[in-house]
Amino acid sequence: MTGSASTGDRLLKPRVAMVLGWLTLVAVVVLALFGLWGAPPDEIQGDAQRLMYLHVPAAWVAYLAFAVTAISSALWLWRRTRSDVWDRVAGSSAELGVLFTALTLVLGALWGKPIWGVWWAWDARLVTTAVLFFLYLGYLALRRIPAAPETRAKRCAIAALIAFVDVPIVHFSVTWWRTLHQDGTVFNEELSAQIHGVMAFTLWFGVLAFTMVYLYLLDRRYRLMVLDEEREEREVAIAIEERVSADPNAPVTPTAPAGASR
Amino acid sequence: MSYAEYVITGWVVTGASLGAYWLWIVRRTKRAEASWQPPREASGE
Repeated sequence: MTGSASTGDRLLKPRVAMVLGWLTLVAVVVLALFGLWGAPPDEIQGDAQRLMYLHVPAAWVAYLAFAVTAISSALWLWRRTRSDVWDRVAGSSAELGVLFTALTLVLGALWGKPIWGVWWAWDARLVTTAVLFFLYLGYLALRRIPAAPETRAKRCAIAALIAFVDVPIVHFSVTWWRTLHQDGTVFNEELSAQIHGVMAFTLWFGVLAFTMVYLYLLDRRYRLMVLDEEREEREVAIAIEERVSADPNAPVTPTAPAGASR
Repeated sequence: MSYAEYVITGWVVTGASLGAYWLWIVRRTKRAEASWQPPREASGE
């Protein structure tokens, strides 16, 4: 499973990644301008509602990242499509998913304190999201346990698919249980006051900007993972070479690197 | 804290987290690329 990594291994071509990086930066600046000044304050929540332009996109990207991890893991498990690329995409995307889930929780708490009066409530949406965070934190810990690359990739792929079961539970928690967290808002036909105008634009633009941030960081993280794998392979090759030169008759088992830094 | 202070805190935390993560990746990538050397050909010595 190793040996396919080379310095040129990337998800995006360097020029495409660079353009995406600059476009992402512009999108984030535009989002900040609209989120902090362009969009009007909410009639009831006032300025606190401006946190939704980050909280909702962060939650969306967390879902997206874990979906990409699950699909990549399935593609790795299926023999016909098995490739190191899918294992790397799964690991990189899961790391981003954990980051965006943490942001979702923190931003939700910062919004909850002024609006609900509490930082945290034992609410189905909040609890299932926290469980999601810890599940994928465990997944990342699993990736760091030393093992042969194929063994590690296999057990991580299975763990990723199991952990993904929590994503629909998080999403539908607000309809399955009575929760303090509000029900779906954007597509909810039952609400008399649907989001519209500049507020709707800012929210959707936030989703777009955060998706761009995700894609850009996924490419960068993937690239770093390739370089880490190469370094580990070089270290093993050097260790074998030194051992052989010290004692040409010594038994050499070319064990693949453990991948503990991934 | 006023509403505005919660909002500013949220935006700063988000920006700092994403910025720090990006910087961590960039620095580690640069370090890895700087230490990269093409693999030596088997010389048969």
